[in-house]
Amino acid sequence: MKSLDIAATGMLAQQLNVEVISNNIANMNTTGFKRRRAEFQDLLYQNQLRVGSTSSEAGTIVPAGVQLGLGVQPAAVYRIAEQGSMNITDNPFDLAISGRGYFQVELPSGETGYTRAGAFQLSADGDLVTPDGLVVQPGITIPNNASTVTINASGQVFVTIAGQVAPQQVGQLELATFLNQAGLEPIGDNLLLETPASGTPTVGTPASTGFGSMEQGALEASNVNVVSEITNLITAQRAYEMNSKVIQASDEMMSSVTQLR
Amino acid sequence: MENPGYIALSRQMVLRRQMDMVANNLANLTTPGFKGESMLFVEHLARTEPREKISFVRDIATIRDLKAGPMTETGSPFDLAIRGEGYFAIETPEGTRYTRAGGFTPDPDGRIVSAQGFALLDDGGAPITIPVDALSVAVARDGTISTDQGELGRVQVVRFDNQQALKRQANSLYDAAGQAALPVEQPDVQQGKLESSNVAGVVEMTRLVATVRSYEAAAKLANNEHERQRRAIDALATARS
Repeated sequence: MKSLDIAATGMLAQQLNVEVISNNIANMNTTGFKRRRAEFQDLLYQNQLRVGSTSSEAGTIVPAGVQLGLGVQPAAVYRIAEQGSMNITDNPFDLAISGRGYFQVELPSGETGYTRAGAFQLSADGDLVTPDGLVVQPGITIPNNASTVTINASGQVFVTIAGQVAPQQVGQLELATFLNQAGLEPIGDNLLLETPASGTPTVGTPASTGFGSMEQGALEASNVNVVSEITNLITAQRAYEMNSKVIQASDEMMSSVTQLR
Repeated sequence: MENPGYIALSRQMVLRRQMDMVANNLANLTTPGFKGESMLFVEHLARTEPREKISFVRDIATIRDLKAGPMTETGSPFDLAIRGEGYFAIETPEGTRYTRAGGFTPDPDGRIVSAQGFALLDDGGAPITIPVDALSVAVARDGTISTDQGELGRVQVVRFDNQQALKRQANSLYDAAGQAALPVEQPDVQQGKLESSNVAGVVEMTRLVATVRSYEAAAKLANNEHERQRRAIDALATARS
């Protein structure tokens, strides 16, 4: 019976759906996290009676035909790049992007990783690094004797050095934007990689045309909406149950056949 | 003499297909743009004797339920839903196909594409390309796509005289099967939303129960008929000896 396999595709799809939802809920407090959504598509159709086939010698044609679907498949798991809310932290090295763009960090492999999580710290050498110690690109080094650090909306980094009146600029942060943000490949640790689907990055200064602006002392919270995730979870669970009922029902039908003599 | 068995068999055959259909509807409970189906049964009369007819059952068509699915807010600017009548046109290697599943994304070149990478067509039949440096994308109710750099074009929204005759394909696409695609004069395109599947779980569950019970009833009928024949043979055999 095909209905057994069809229900199995349905259960697999809902299982994936629950996995995506649980990952969203697990990351509801992850800085810079973007929620995912699983999207599904129907599978092939089998023609039992073809649409438009001739049904009589007089040339009448079948108006609808019998088309039987074979189940469901996952089409994509999208990242939804909606802006997350801003949490004020007052830590001078916490940066949030308001608008489009990603911070660039140098991965140990030499590749460039992209992230929205701007919880940066200083390394022993005074370099601006991520919590994993990856250096933010272009590199910013804060002098040892700096008393305050100010980063403005355009990403310019100023330090005030003890004993000097005027602040000095020690660097300029840059952002990268992508045409298809959903095409970036997540590799964990809040990092994303460029892929053929994302397109090549466009690098520019924050707050210029096409780039978001920088907020010092704030972090971008995840954009997971817990209420909608929970309602999605309920829908997914019920759908899973209904598909399992189909398997039970198909089983009952088959057992009634085996009782025939 | 054997007819009741065959009648029960004809019933069981269509019920199995009905079961496959219910299973497909339930499997696609969360597929955007999916339309549930139901089966159309007809009586098939067969003449056995000059004045006698017996009726079998036959499934002649799957009827798509065309009512709109509920709109779900997604927050993604490239998710489009059509309120009311209409289909989006998609360019596939096999030709233009139509869909109500509006989960699109831009590809690396900026073209708006479906999850399989097929381009969404504008009312001139050309793909829609978002400029690389565009900041925001807005889709108006009438389907006009614009960015901060100006208008890009209007999404093609078409309708068909006979929607039931559209041929269903995988990936939520429909083949026009020779029908002309007519433009919808006043489309109502909603940005940031997706049309959910219109399958109602409860309805499908009741159909599921009904299908299983009818199947069992047909099996019971076949079984009873078998018993009757066996008893008849026994009775007649004893009468002889």
